Amino acid sequence: MDTSPHLARPQWMSLLAQAEPAELAAAMAPFAPPAHATWLRPPQTGLYMLRGRIGGTGPQFNLGEVSVTRCSVQIDGHIGHAWVRGGNTKHAELAACADAWLQASDKHPQLSAQVLEPLRQSLQARREAASRKAAASKVEFFTVVRGE
Amino acid sequence: MMLAAFTHPVFDSQRNFRELLQAMARPASPRTLPVLAPAPVPATPAAMAILLTLCDTSTSVWLQQADEALSQHLRFHTGCGLVQTPVEADFALITDPTTMPPLDTFALGDPRYPDRSASLIVQVEAFHANTGPRFAGPGIRDVERVRIDGLPERFWRERVALASRLPLGIDLYFVAAQNILALPRTTRQLED
Repeated sequence: MDTSPHLARPQWMSLLAQAEPAELAAAMAPFAPPAHATWLRPPQTGLYMLRGRIGGTGPQFNLGEVSVTRCSVQIDGHIGHAWVRGGNTKHAELAACADAWLQASDKHPQLSAQVLEPLRQSLQARREAASRKAAASKVEFFTVVRGE
Repeated sequence: MMLAAFTHPVFDSQRNFRELLQAMARPASPRTLPVLAPAPVPATPAAMAILLTLCDTSTSVWLQQADEALSQHLRFHTGCGLVQTPVEADFALITDPTTMPPLDTFALGDPRYPDRSASLIVQVEAFHANTGPRFAGPGIRDVERVRIDGLPERFWRERVALASRLPLGIDLYFVAAQNILALPRTTRQLED
């Protein structure tokens, strides 16, 4: 996932939510929320129950609660929404602003290049680092076959 | 264009809720709603403030004038379900009382669960305290007089007819500008 440079809205929302808050803030620095933005839903932090299925097919079970911050903003008629994990209100605000502007055709290319692309590369790098770390700790199990 | 709701969702709705409780406890006596909320027409800011205070994902709302912007606004800010017929509604927003459906078309509750009844939020023109019809009942020391402008004549006949159904009935919030006034089902209108 996240490999195509042209992302659909669910993908860019996911990317914005998974971004490191500091990286998102740096990338969004030139796109500060304008004064005429309407904060339809100021950042609010709450709990979501995460549910899962073993192997994707078993019965549903409650994995645990996770704190989520949501935010909605309206800029020039475009409504941007964000749900981010954790309690970082600034992250939710910036992600909502980015979502609103990415829907505006005149701003989309600029944001796509200056915000989404660096975030996508960073996410990919983090994933690769994590999987390398995991791979390095992989243990091979041998079973000594008894000759009988 | 969508509108924002309360600036401080928790505190604003708590302040309004306290005032709504007080209005129900002291029927037929006008009070002022502390916090208003931006509202798409045909809802007024005070009526919207009441809906934002009382409604959530577990309540159903019926809109007399189902406007797309208003429906979207309510769904976004409260998460409430919008229903198509008055009888399904926990709350009903009456934006034009002259053409409102008869009161007995709303849910009156079940004899075992009289609380499963509708509360109506009725946008009227104005209230005038200490004049007009007299009301008595729990929460009123002797009698309370109030005249409500903007209601059809039949409204009071329909309300009197419901009195015999107690404990079933409907509770009413009237809204005019920033003022609210409640008439719970237990408040009787006295004959002159």
